[in-house]
Amino acid sequence: MRAKTAVTIPVYLVLHAMLAVYSLSSVCSKLAAGQPFMSAGFMLIYGASIALLAVYAIVWQQVIKRMPLTTAYANKAVTLVWGLVWGRVIFEEELSPIKLLGAAVVLAGVVMFSMAHDEDDDARGEGARP
Amino acid sequence: MRTFAYASLCLLGGFISAISQVLLKKSAQRHHDSVVAEYLNVRVIMAYLMFFAAALLSVFAYRGIPLSMGPILDAMSYLYVTFFGVTIFHERVGTRKKVALSLILAGIVIYSFGI
Repeated sequence: MRAKTAVTIPVYLVLHAMLAVYSLSSVCSKLAAGQPFMSAGFMLIYGASIALLAVYAIVWQQVIKRMPLTTAYANKAVTLVWGLVWGRVIFEEELSPIKLLGAAVVLAGVVMFSMAHDEDDDARGEGARP
Repeated sequence: MRTFAYASLCLLGGFISAISQVLLKKSAQRHHDSVVAEYLNVRVIMAYLMFFAAALLSVFAYRGIPLSMGPILDAMSYLYVTFFGVTIFHERVGTRKKVALSLILAGIVIYSFGI
């Protein structure tokens, strides 16, 4: 029997909608980087990036109340894929096999890290000192 | 070399952001009397200030790195969080986590060869 509170599907949906928003804030950051510092264009796009981050931050605060931080972080790995997609589609970045391999290895590491959480908790429980 | 300098800026932003996440989690674990109090307290305000400073750093970093590299370097936050866990909270790190962190580091190195 699982003693932990089950994370509901709507919470995951909200999390992923928010992670898509988060990835778009990176797109704005990259667009702002192409503008002269403190120019009108810079301020407008950086402002949009901050606005998206504000939405992300407010929702994130509610999401981490409803799921373990490690689970939220594991799902955050999807931003790797968003980065590759937006980079290719919007900025016409090259997607070489070595880049894709590197991203896949990082993704595997992130997923493995979050799945290792329970095992490490158990190990800690056995050997824990107050 | 130029890319390395901008990537370092991105890593610094990620480190600051990771500290802000610890502050947010600490605040989320506490009881607050109202929804307003959940957001308007010292920990959360400090965390968001750090969060937005990190965002500004990432804008400068994106002048020298591709968009797809941002989330790759962000994965270093797992290493930072583990570092905080070990040094501040004296947590143990299991073998699988060590392997996972090694994979993250290896992936970043592999991706960097493609730049």
